[in-house]
Amino acid sequence: MSATLTILLRTAIFILVALALCGLIFQAAGYSALDMFASILDGAFLRKGGLSQCLRWALPLFITATGVVLSFRCGFFNIGAQGQFYMGAIAATAMASWLNGMPVAVLVPVSILSGMAGGALWALWPGILRFRWGTDEVITTLMGNFIAGLILVYVTTGPLKDPSGSGQQSSSKPLAAAYRISNSMGLSPTIIAISLVVGIGMWLLINRTAFGVLGGLAGRNPEMLRWQGARMWKFGLASFMVSGALAGLAGAIEVFGPNGRLVGGFLPTHGFTAVLIALVANLSITGTAVAALFFGGLASAALYLPIMAGLPSAAIDIINAAIALFITAKSRMIDRMFSARGKTP
Amino acid sequence: MNSGSVAPPAWQCRAMTVAYGDFIALDGIDVGFERGRIHAVVGQNGAGKTTFARAIAGIVRPRQGQILVDGLEIEPGKVRAARDAGVELVHQSFALPPSFTIAEAMEFGTRKHGQLFTASGLARRWTQHLAELDVTADVRSRIRDLPVETQQGVEIARALVTEADLLILDEPTAVLSPSGVERLFERVRRLKARGVTVILILHKIREVLAIADTVTVLRGGRLVAAGLARQALDPVALSDLIIGGPAAQGAEAAVGLAAGAPAEHAVARQTAAIEPIARLEDITTEGRAEAPALDHASVALHAGEILGVAGVEGNGQRSLVEALCGLAKLKEGRIMMGGRDISREDLGERRKQGLRVIPFERNSEGLSLSSALWENWAASRLLAGPLLSYIRPQRLRAQARAAFDRWSVRYAGPSQPAGALSGGNAQKVIFSRELDGQVRLIIAAQPTRGLDIGATAFVWKALREARDTGAAVLMISSDLDELFDTADRLIVMLSGRVVAEFRPPYDMARVGAAMTGAVTEALSEPLTGARP
Amino acid sequence: MIDFIVAVLRSGTPLVYVALAGMIAQRAGLWHLGLEGIMIIGCCATIIGIVLTGSYALAILIACVLCILASMLLWFVIEKLKANPIIAGLGLTGFGVGGTALAAQSIFGSQAAVTAPFGAPRLGDSFGAFASLSIFVAAMPAVVALLWVLLRRTRFGLQLAACGEHPFAARSLGIDPERIRLFALCVGGVLCAIGGAELASGSLQIFAQNMTAGRGFMGFAAVVFGAAHPVWTALAALFFSLVGAIGIRAQILFGDAVPHDLLLALPYLATVLGVWISGRLRGGAKGANGFSELRDY
Repeated sequence: MSATLTILLRTAIFILVALALCGLIFQAAGYSALDMFASILDGAFLRKGGLSQCLRWALPLFITATGVVLSFRCGFFNIGAQGQFYMGAIAATAMASWLNGMPVAVLVPVSILSGMAGGALWALWPGILRFRWGTDEVITTLMGNFIAGLILVYVTTGPLKDPSGSGQQSSSKPLAAAYRISNSMGLSPTIIAISLVVGIGMWLLINRTAFGVLGGLAGRNPEMLRWQGARMWKFGLASFMVSGALAGLAGAIEVFGPNGRLVGGFLPTHGFTAVLIALVANLSITGTAVAALFFGGLASAALYLPIMAGLPSAAIDIINAAIALFITAKSRMIDRMFSARGKTP
Repeated sequence: MNSGSVAPPAWQCRAMTVAYGDFIALDGIDVGFERGRIHAVVGQNGAGKTTFARAIAGIVRPRQGQILVDGLEIEPGKVRAARDAGVELVHQSFALPPSFTIAEAMEFGTRKHGQLFTASGLARRWTQHLAELDVTADVRSRIRDLPVETQQGVEIARALVTEADLLILDEPTAVLSPSGVERLFERVRRLKARGVTVILILHKIREVLAIADTVTVLRGGRLVAAGLARQALDPVALSDLIIGGPAAQGAEAAVGLAAGAPAEHAVARQTAAIEPIARLEDITTEGRAEAPALDHASVALHAGEILGVAGVEGNGQRSLVEALCGLAKLKEGRIMMGGRDISREDLGERRKQGLRVIPFERNSEGLSLSSALWENWAASRLLAGPLLSYIRPQRLRAQARAAFDRWSVRYAGPSQPAGALSGGNAQKVIFSRELDGQVRLIIAAQPTRGLDIGATAFVWKALREARDTGAAVLMISSDLDELFDTADRLIVMLSGRVVAEFRPPYDMARVGAAMTGAVTEALSEPLTGARP
Repeated sequence: MIDFIVAVLRSGTPLVYVALAGMIAQRAGLWHLGLEGIMIIGCCATIIGIVLTGSYALAILIACVLCILASMLLWFVIEKLKANPIIAGLGLTGFGVGGTALAAQSIFGSQAAVTAPFGAPRLGDSFGAFASLSIFVAAMPAVVALLWVLLRRTRFGLQLAACGEHPFAARSLGIDPERIRLFALCVGGVLCAIGGAELASGSLQIFAQNMTAGRGFMGFAAVVFGAAHPVWTALAALFFSLVGAIGIRAQILFGDAVPHDLLLALPYLATVLGVWISGRLRGGAKGANGFSELRDY
């Protein structure tokens, strides 16, 4: 137990360090750090309707982050959640425009499933490169994010372009209201139900199946598992595809839920935030749920800041980045402080 | 204890204590070394020899105590200070960047010349240096391409790029063949003649008595004897010092007293007539830097037999194990098991047919140190079933606990990380996992490396029991004494080939000659493992 | 043709500088994914420096100092706090992108692009067709050569490589890998500052939010492609910008028949291809791969 406590406290301390650094930056840039943090807190949780907005942002992040948790646990540094998220959104939109006119009960599930397939396929090629030729997945998934971003711009200005749209923002034709799974506030029973199913399913997969336990071993020591006769590519491809599918699901939810259409370059930091959530949660599913609420709150504050408080939303990006800078840090001093306390004399 | 000279020893440790966290590796060591002699520091595995060497060389910082050179204290825990005082250390597992050329490896540690160099100037400079030290190698060749013995020569040459007064060699003989050891000792004696003082970290009594002027003994991190004159020692007295008290059972072999004497159980067994459980037929593999290829190797493994594999490390033993496990690519040949060709089956399928493996590296290939014990234990059985099957961790923990108790593992709980166990207990965990179910063939790669005497005896007993219940055992070891003690049959590997085969009683001289390729076919009996 | 070479040099030079920064870090044993963030700090500091001080030299100095500070922050987090280099590097990238946006907004009060009155000194008319290129383009070959000498022909270069390849070997000879890496990151900081300055002021004299647009990551890919060799890395970076320039050229030739955005993806595709090829040539991925906190070793 003391190990868990140590990790928790260490995480908390480094988040505080990151926030302190952000405070310095804000102050240096000419803003009052206190005002800034107060407005962020207000925008994230305290304002009226803040909690439901926090949840609106937290749920898609949670879904993507559970996938990241799986691939990190299995030892694969898939940081391509952003690209998989985009490809999921594109695939879902494409399917929806192709099936346009079909009954809701057909179109929505099929489109969302094809969104998951799109994300999974976008995760598949780095997986194949990795397991067939040993190509490093950090670079391929990272480059995949840029390529997917450009594909998104291409489809929203080309094949899926909304002809009646203004020149300002490239986007697809809006979905018919009947096909939407939530209004533009972005929170609905459907989305909550999908998130619950994903959360429970991933918890079971990681903690209650042979795959989960062996995947954890594969992540911590692939050599050992190889000498046990495991086919590593199975774990690799499976974890790549599941995490891609979940990121794709989040993308589809964004399209069918709050956005109601595909927008060029939307939510450019979704994948990175999901990676952060997974790391802050120390790769546990329950922790991911908590961390997703925190970062969901920050995401909702990013919208609130410029409108309600007149502060730049870049502040949220800086907070996220500072947390990323410190979240994997291990301080021997802190560890010793807490492990000594956990020990019985 | 003092050998009678008036001047104080040139190198001196005073009350030196080294600790890693809570673990005291060296406890209040007081010892001195005189100039111009060859000093041996001996002890069992875990006695603190390597820590001692590293503390003197400034790589490890002592918690307490002083290191003095010619009466002047040098700053502890600083490599620079130690090197300025003329101390150089050659590590047991070599420490030069593998992609460097020999010349670059020499250059990066020196401080003699200017910063800038040209490729040809560098080559000239270090070719001469190597020639002075009788190391024959092209300075343009890369470290990773060198044979072990040359690499050691290069390491020693690297240590002498500055005018070293004190050269410490940490277990230099562990990687060498018997004749390689002879050449190393020749080199050490020449260095002594040049006025270099040498500290040799050793653990074999035979070698200590062959080379050392003085002997210092460590046991469990404590100094047992300092600077004994070699002439005053006999093997039995020295082994008593190393082990503590009269030698315990099994201990003789562990410290190398049993050289050549066949132990009671190592009598020739009648196995040749039986059809082997598994057979490697004319196997050639693709080699890698860390695992030289097999070259048309044929080996037969029989039920109820421990087959020992002798050879200098790096002569294809790892490829042999990987080929049997399906982890190495076969270029030629096939592997038969139970009358079937299993060459194309992977390790998972081979395990289902009763193959078990205790890998070379306990802490990386055998266990995941940061994972819970029960996860380590359950890995093989979880892999045998469908991946998406539902598991109950509670039940697996209980089963693991029962298995650990059967193998008398000392542990706190099944959720403890494997890294918290000592080497012997960790090996027991591996045995409890591997010797489970229907076992037909056990590959034990260096199963006793780094273990103390008690754990070594345990491993031998477990392998013998497995043999007696009808399994075939393949035991790879770089310790000839261990092989002589346990193997029912012995093959010798050299450059990826099986060059000789022996049956008890073994003759150290003949096995040693086969290991170095000095004599081949003539001295061995016909190869039963050869292609029919 | 000469226009094409000028275009490749113009778009390739910032990439070469930033790739060289990553190359030094790589040789010293660090995967430098913070290049993007440090580079954009260089961009932003140069433009703001020009606007505020009116001196190009001062602006470059400010950019170098800020980039070195950012590099030191990354070094501290990785070496002293033992953070994962990949995540910390990505964090620094976000930090740079967000921080520069914040700085530009707080100084100029808007999110719009900031323009400076003048940019980097140009080569001038005596260079004929190359007159419009900045001095950093001309300095690039010299910098590559200098780094080659430093890394391949001095003892210090060998020590730096030893820290990357076998830190224990370096440490047991009294070389401190942490300090060598600090040096490597700081030199990288200066190179990123120059690369950022060239990007922001080499032709357009403008700072826009997120203007590096993945160049730092492409520079990192050039390091992998070029096997962390000074010359090969620089050539890999030029190759990437060549691919990009060919894409633009194709656009001019074929018009809308070739989708513009997909052409922009060509350098990224080339990067994937390059990493794949280098992986095949050198037998698989090596390096700071994996999430070390959970790893055994």
